[in-house]
Amino acid sequence: MKRGHVWKASLLLMAGWWVVSALLLPVPAAARNIKIGIVDTYSGPAAVFGNDALNGFKMAVDEINKQGVLGGKIEFVTRDDKFKVDIGLSMAKELVLKEDVDLIVGTVNSGLALAISDAVAKKEKIPYIAWMSKSENVTGKAGHRYVFSTTENTAMAGKTAATVLSKKPIKRIWVAGDDYEYGHALDESFSRYMKQMKPDVEFIGKTWWKVGEPDLVPYFTSIQAANPDLIHFCTGGASMANVLKTIKTTGINQKIPIYIHTAIDYAVLKPLGTEAPEGVMGTMDYLFYYPELSSNQKFVKDFQALYKAPPGFPAFHAYTTAYLIAEAFRQAGKIDREKFIDAIEGLKVDTPVGKVEMRACDHQAVYPMLFGTTKISKEYGAAVATDIMTLRGAEVMPSCEEIQAARK
Amino acid sequence: MLKDILRTSAFPWTAAVLLVLALVPFAAGRFYVYILAVIFVTGLLAMSLNLLAGHGGTYQFHHGVFYGVGAYTAGLIITKTALPAWVALCAGPIAAAAAGLVIGTFCVRLNKLYFGMLQISLGSLIWILALRWYSLTNGDDGIHGIPMPELLSGSVNAYYFILIVVSACLAVMYLILKSPFGTTLRAVRDNPQRCQAVGINVRRHQLLAIVIATFFAGVAGVLFVVLEGSVFPDMLFWVMSLEIFIMCLLGGWFTFFGPMLGAAIMVALRTFVGSYTDYWTLILGVVLILLIFFLPDGIMGINFRTWLRSRARRRAMNTVR
Amino acid sequence: METSVTLAGFISQLLVGLSRAMILFIVASGLSFILGVLRVPNVAHGSLYMIGAFAAHTIAVAFEGSPAGFWLAMVCAPLVVAAISLVAERLLFCHLYEREHLMLLLFTFALMLILGDLTKMTWGADYRSIVAPPLLQGSVSVLGTAFPRYNLFLLLVGPLVAVGLWLLSTRTKFGKIARAAAVDREMVGAIGINVSWVFAFAFVLGCLLAGLGGALVSPTISITLGMDHSIIIEAFLIVTIGGLGNIWGAMVGALIFGLTQSVGIMVLPQFAIVFPYLAVVVILTLKPTGLLKSVW
Repeated sequence: MKRGHVWKASLLLMAGWWVVSALLLPVPAAARNIKIGIVDTYSGPAAVFGNDALNGFKMAVDEINKQGVLGGKIEFVTRDDKFKVDIGLSMAKELVLKEDVDLIVGTVNSGLALAISDAVAKKEKIPYIAWMSKSENVTGKAGHRYVFSTTENTAMAGKTAATVLSKKPIKRIWVAGDDYEYGHALDESFSRYMKQMKPDVEFIGKTWWKVGEPDLVPYFTSIQAANPDLIHFCTGGASMANVLKTIKTTGINQKIPIYIHTAIDYAVLKPLGTEAPEGVMGTMDYLFYYPELSSNQKFVKDFQALYKAPPGFPAFHAYTTAYLIAEAFRQAGKIDREKFIDAIEGLKVDTPVGKVEMRACDHQAVYPMLFGTTKISKEYGAAVATDIMTLRGAEVMPSCEEIQAARK
Repeated sequence: MLKDILRTSAFPWTAAVLLVLALVPFAAGRFYVYILAVIFVTGLLAMSLNLLAGHGGTYQFHHGVFYGVGAYTAGLIITKTALPAWVALCAGPIAAAAAGLVIGTFCVRLNKLYFGMLQISLGSLIWILALRWYSLTNGDDGIHGIPMPELLSGSVNAYYFILIVVSACLAVMYLILKSPFGTTLRAVRDNPQRCQAVGINVRRHQLLAIVIATFFAGVAGVLFVVLEGSVFPDMLFWVMSLEIFIMCLLGGWFTFFGPMLGAAIMVALRTFVGSYTDYWTLILGVVLILLIFFLPDGIMGINFRTWLRSRARRRAMNTVR
Repeated sequence: METSVTLAGFISQLLVGLSRAMILFIVASGLSFILGVLRVPNVAHGSLYMIGAFAAHTIAVAFEGSPAGFWLAMVCAPLVVAAISLVAERLLFCHLYEREHLMLLLFTFALMLILGDLTKMTWGADYRSIVAPPLLQGSVSVLGTAFPRYNLFLLLVGPLVAVGLWLLSTRTKFGKIARAAAVDREMVGAIGINVSWVFAFAFVLGCLLAGLGGALVSPTISITLGMDHSIIIEAFLIVTIGGLGNIWGAMVGALIFGLTQSVGIMVLPQFAIVFPYLAVVVILTLKPTGLLKSVW
């Protein structure tokens, strides 16, 4: 009878599965390679960042593997989250449960970073290093023992921008950006510090569009009508390209000053080429052409030889992350998650911009911050930053007390 | 009713399968337990759609909305109010059924394609609200780290809870389909005009079927929250609804267990093929086209047709004698 | 919060909404045409729109961004899309015409999945950017506020396409046969016309319109994967509220959609995108079959 056949088949299927999965149970290994799982965006507009990071990471891992770490090498697997939180989260779970990685790194999407931090890192007690998602909440109020950040965050950017912009005659500010974690974090951080440093400033309006919104022209015309003294665009990842393009096509940068975090980054400006808008103010923690340190120049030269293009901030962060991981495992003495965490807290490594510390109290890497304005450069065929001001890491980080208070 | 279940020839096999499933966590690694749980939840969702699509013949194009409503209701109640988790878990399916009733009332006034298009429109409104109401639903980020009571947290506990609930729901669905209501539903699917002529209130039957199906979709949504501890606006996106439709088609939408099998195949494809290639949606599209051309009744449908043919042949031989 | 809504700002915002509506109309009219003649909602319509944008970029870049390259791209990209749709139709789709509608719908969904990944394979995952020719760059001053010239161009193209379609469906032989086939395909077949070819032409024409929409929209947005998902739901809703198969209905629907969103941005930016959906629900509650008469 047909039903009986189906049941017999299902029974055999289940039994077979049982046997197969028993055979596939993980086998504990001896001296082995360190396995890192990367969850990042490799499709869609944010893929430029994911690919840049992967390139920087690969370059660092090849250099590190020449010596090896703890008798083995560093190996890694990648997963594409397509800039979506649900896909990225299930990829992260698969990496931990099936691929058995020792730690997870990655993600451009700040919403995904928080989700992985909460649902995977904290729950499974596995270290997760966010190397691109900049929301300050990652190491701020949502921080915990198992999450780290090797990217500059919105608090650092906001404080840098506020330090420079509070000295200018700006009173009425309009905020516009992507309606997700990163966009809101940018707004909160900048507004908080701006209000502190220039109490008479007014935030006259806020516009939020959905992430990846294709047609921004109607939003821009509406903002232009309000005529603010400054527009703070809270965007990045998937929408950054669209925002810069719309700025150029509407010519809004010629009438109203604009500030966008990461607007001066090369990975962001390169795809637009000579069509990038000029005069846009931005903050960043890494530029391949500044400062002209020999360590930076060597890094850029090696990167360019491998990938035919200079590195952006994602490559820089990923490169630094690889060296932090290697050094932390060396100091830990074995591939143990808890020992790794103890070793990495307070660790300092050499990077293209000098020594960078992984601060122990909040697991945030301390970077110097740069503030500049975009200008087309004939030499690079794209826009670069000019009139660059530097602020030291210690000046722009929230203090350990502020972090402790936020985490309560 | 219980005697009916015990007396069917399928019961010993069902019990055996359930026993095997119950023992899986002792044999398999955590990942496989997790994937099986995902299959059960998705399978329940597909089965609930099939009540309407396969057995009811309605163009339920946006079934995912009710899945999402159930999940978001549970998630929001747990994270935003101080009510106990059990209230949230029960409120989810009720909210989904309520949404089903409201949307269904609009849709049953129309036929076929209009029904489907209207449902997509109304469902999309709920999707866009969930996506854009950032202060309530966290918009595109979704809500994460939704805490579950001790009894349900941990992958093994969640697995058993889901297994029990899904089995219960399937048993209820089976009984509904075997009942006179189920028979009427299939009659309405095959020939609504004749049913109307005989005096059956077609609209009311369809609406009742919608409420039942959306209730089960809400249950699936709540189980998702138990398993993953998160909700996403993509659960309400129309692509999810079409994927559920494919699961029904893949497994065989005139059979009872077809959608569950379809869900298993989709989840397995997505998980295992997805880790080897970036282009798993291409493979899914090709599989779908092959299905449409060669296997329109789905995988379990092969047997169904040959079974029908062999039964007809046997009957013919009997009458000859 | 200060919202200075001046008359000039309002007019400018309306015009921007109108120009966006033109793109929506072009895409939705193609969808509506296919729906009218073949009675199938073409889920792959968004993918063809996306391919139109990518193809336009490739052609424009091949001519190094010159104005000639841009115009060539506007003409050739829709033709590329039409060719792709013809291949899909003759190879696979036409064998399904005898089957029930659900199968046709699922076929178009499978096509969407396949085209999406093929686009990723062909053009890669990075986003692209195309620039309008100098003639259409910059902005004109409308009542004191800046209005992008390219949007003005769109305001001209939209009605041209609408009139063109109307002439095609009412004045040409093909148009009349197509409308007849929409209403009663058996009869059309009975009087000796090859219905399969009528369907093929209708499908290809609809897809060409999707490609045209994609090509036209490309200078205003960044061309990325995922464009297909966002446009298809809007096109579906527009077609539903306009009346299934009705071209002028698609125009009305697109106008409602574009204007409600653009006014919404001015009034309540956070929820601006909800306004069109609300409008859709209101219209469908009052007139479930759409504002204008459906073709069948």
